[in-house]
Amino acid sequence: MNPHRLLAALGLLAMTAAPALGQERVELFGYFESQFMGASIGGDFIQLFSNKLRVDLRSELSDNITFAANFDYIDYQGKTDWDILQFLPDSITANVPEQLRGFYRLAFEDRCFLDNAYLKLTLGAFDLTVGRQQISPGTGYAWNPTDLFNTKDLLDPTYEQPGHNALRLDAVLGRGLSLTALYSPGEHWKDSDRMMEMKGRLGHFDITLTAVEKTWRYHDYTRFDAAALNFTERPQRRRLLGGGTAGELLGLGIWAEYGYNWMSGGENFYELLAGADYTFDFQTYVMLEVYRNTQGRPDSIGVTLNDWMRYLAAEQRSITRDQMFLFVRHPLSDLVQGGVSLISSLSDGSLALVPTLTAGAWENVEITAYLNIYLGKEGTAYASDLGSGGMLRARVYF
Amino acid sequence: MTPSHPFPKSWKVLSGLFFLITASLVAGDLTGDEIIHRVTDLINLESSYARVQMKIGTSSGKIRTFVYDSWSKNRGEKNLIRYLEPRRARGQATLMLNHADDIWMFFPRTQRVRKLATHAKKQKMEGSDFSYEDMGGGDAFLNDFETRRLPDEKLEGRDCFTLELRRRSDSDASYSRLKMWVLQENFVPILIDYYDDKDSERLEKRLEMSDIQEIAGIPTAMTMLMRNLNDATSTEMIFLEVEHNPALEDAMFTERALKK
Repeated sequence: MNPHRLLAALGLLAMTAAPALGQERVELFGYFESQFMGASIGGDFIQLFSNKLRVDLRSELSDNITFAANFDYIDYQGKTDWDILQFLPDSITANVPEQLRGFYRLAFEDRCFLDNAYLKLTLGAFDLTVGRQQISPGTGYAWNPTDLFNTKDLLDPTYEQPGHNALRLDAVLGRGLSLTALYSPGEHWKDSDRMMEMKGRLGHFDITLTAVEKTWRYHDYTRFDAAALNFTERPQRRRLLGGGTAGELLGLGIWAEYGYNWMSGGENFYELLAGADYTFDFQTYVMLEVYRNTQGRPDSIGVTLNDWMRYLAAEQRSITRDQMFLFVRHPLSDLVQGGVSLISSLSDGSLALVPTLTAGAWENVEITAYLNIYLGKEGTAYASDLGSGGMLRARVYF
Repeated sequence: MTPSHPFPKSWKVLSGLFFLITASLVAGDLTGDEIIHRVTDLINLESSYARVQMKIGTSSGKIRTFVYDSWSKNRGEKNLIRYLEPRRARGQATLMLNHADDIWMFFPRTQRVRKLATHAKKQKMEGSDFSYEDMGGGDAFLNDFETRRLPDEKLEGRDCFTLELRRRSDSDASYSRLKMWVLQENFVPILIDYYDDKDSERLEKRLEMSDIQEIAGIPTAMTMLMRNLNDATSTEMIFLEVEHNPALEDAMFTERALKK
């Protein structure tokens, strides 16, 4: 890891923490996480180990000012440099020019970062939050069409998301209505990100309307920019208008989320998600989500290298158009929960199974394990050549 | 938190005495319906605050301990629970409105609020033997069950009303039947048997309430022990701090406060 980056992050943490440490009540907490990931690919089994330390600070500086920050450090061992082309279908990789092949890599580098480092000022019905903060719009579990700030990992959708530098105002307007306005600065005003969200209630339903304007940094993964030492960037302005709802119908929990996207330099598209869940008397929990992304291909025919790379780089949420996520969970004992996710591309018929186990054997220790088994044909969204594998994670909270 | 009492302390003691005397005078003539109304009035105060230690005894003999703060308003119509311990659950919060017909959960590490449907009430609270439905309180005894008074019994040498509560046909409560023993002297329920959803003869859980203390003139069970007879597990709740009828703002029971 670059020692300058480590020092810079520690310095920033110290600077931001300093005001809080001067106070009487500073909460210090966090976790240590050790993780193993493995994937079987091309007759080989590759392994990646990581250790993560997260330290949180939180202090009520006064009745109406809160400071919160967390510092994260991750190191990696094992196979830290993955050749992405190894995971893609031959039909896609066959046309990649030989001189570019070395650039399709996914490198896991030791890093330290801040997910949160903010001050929150509360004045009557208003909260003003300034600094790095997590932004989590949307009601969906596996996909969030109205969330342009994060893309979830389908194998692990509840894992915490990175923070964003932003100025955020939350206002309570009365009668259950609230408004959020967010500004995340870029280099210039015109390429900065903006979001407005209005929330209200109708009967037992929560209703949200969302408008977002964001610079979307697509890349052309067939062209290399030698000056930038990266694939050629094709930034566009993305404007989203959408909304979501969550409530209950006929005893089922139901939710939906929709976002229409206007792209300044490409085709407009929409994303739509609908979900339902239920808990049986015998404690089994079942959830189903279906998701449409018209940016995705209607079938596996015509999928390009750019589709795959943009999906893997979280520039688009799916390769194919229609998806399904089915999740079943049941307590195996009072300390262990077993579950299975079934992720399917309805467009190309491919399927992935993700059996999951979570155990809380000790009060502040959490163990999570899953297998990811891809069952689709070559060239499909969840093709077996993506490399089935698994993950084992132990997390200790302090 | 700072207590805020609308009446002087002496008034509370007097009103408590009046309540107890009246209760003992009329006890003999009360119907099951009247008794369950008295019980509901006693446990559903206008507002309340408690810091609770929850000890979950697992089937393997281990004990897991949680500590949470709980606020309630409008006779249990609004509830907010925020976890303090263990570290793993710290900051997690649950908001229940409309007698737990609307439930939201907040997860601090993802800063995400998720709305849950009422079926989620069947889920165990942090793996304990209490479900969210058991915690919802409110008027569930009145709205979800029809009450019948059974012959009085003595429990641990104390005179008790014995009630049978049968689930109403239009109710989605998780228990087909409850049997409740209520102290005649102060209307505190000290034992509740919960019967299986499908089989009204199969005892599923047993809740024992003890260490009854007068707090601001109101008899309050400071310890509750729920035994799950199916799983051979138990959960004990010990009230570390209790405050009856504190002044609580409505703003405490909003999504904004949930994320605080």
